[in-house]
Amino acid sequence: MTEAQTATTLIRRSPATPKKKKSQIGYTLAAIAVVAAIGIFLAQIKVLLSMIWFLGIGLGVILQKARFCFTASLRDPILTGSTSLTRATLIAFAVATVGFAALQFTNLLKGGPVIGNVSPVGIHTAIGAVLFGIGMVISGGCASGTLMRMGEGFAMQWISIITFVIGSVLGAMHFGWWSEHFFNAAPKIYLPGTFGWAGAFFGQLALLGVLYVLATWYEYRKSN
Amino acid sequence: MAEFSLDALGEACPIPLLKVQKKWPDLKGGDVLIIHIDHSCALKNIPEWARKEGHNVEVEEVEDGVWDIYIEKTA
Repeated sequence: MTEAQTATTLIRRSPATPKKKKSQIGYTLAAIAVVAAIGIFLAQIKVLLSMIWFLGIGLGVILQKARFCFTASLRDPILTGSTSLTRATLIAFAVATVGFAALQFTNLLKGGPVIGNVSPVGIHTAIGAVLFGIGMVISGGCASGTLMRMGEGFAMQWISIITFVIGSVLGAMHFGWWSEHFFNAAPKIYLPGTFGWAGAFFGQLALLGVLYVLATWYEYRKSN
Repeated sequence: MAEFSLDALGEACPIPLLKVQKKWPDLKGGDVLIIHIDHSCALKNIPEWARKEGHNVEVEEVEDGVWDIYIEKTA
């Protein structure tokens, strides 16, 4: 490094001859062909299956390209002080709130039942959340993050997914015990049933908005 | 103007960042730390942390899926 180096420029010592990377166009074309072929195959069974397939692929691509990570959205505020992924998650929740409210409300107006899952809440929710939180930080990703990084070629996540499956099987085996001791006694809270539709819908959006503002303040409070 | 390097290959997030944060007090102003990573998540949080702390960062993909992150500690 020379003495003339200023504080704003980083002088890099790259290898003299950068390694030539293999072209991945062949793999990309092959992957697109396989995705399209499976999509066509599924559409012949049921069009809905094909739509779910392409939605899943699309979500995976976005997850990878955006470096989106549910684990990091809760971990980074403490580790790096960054809340960019936290805010991205809050926006995702807000979009999902609008979408699910539209679906459920439309179905309700038609006289149908509430669609989607309304699960009992209680101490088991907290226990599960803590266990899952510890697990996903150690294994380096939640379920979707693990799947995405398996595809990226990070070999350790293949071990994660195997233990993830083992854990899920164990959980399914003990589901009866949990139902008997916790789920049956726990209340099922459906927010529109408790606060009314307007209160639940706008209340949830307002709460997410407040959290968004808090997250922004948390990230930039030091620089001001 | 010393140069340090950290091997975080095969380490899942957040281990690479924790290694950097642990090594960081050993660096003086103007020193450069090079971290070798192959977990895409570290590609986001290490530069983000370092830039937030006010240091210069550059990222280079040295192979497919393997990156070197250069961080220069500002004095």
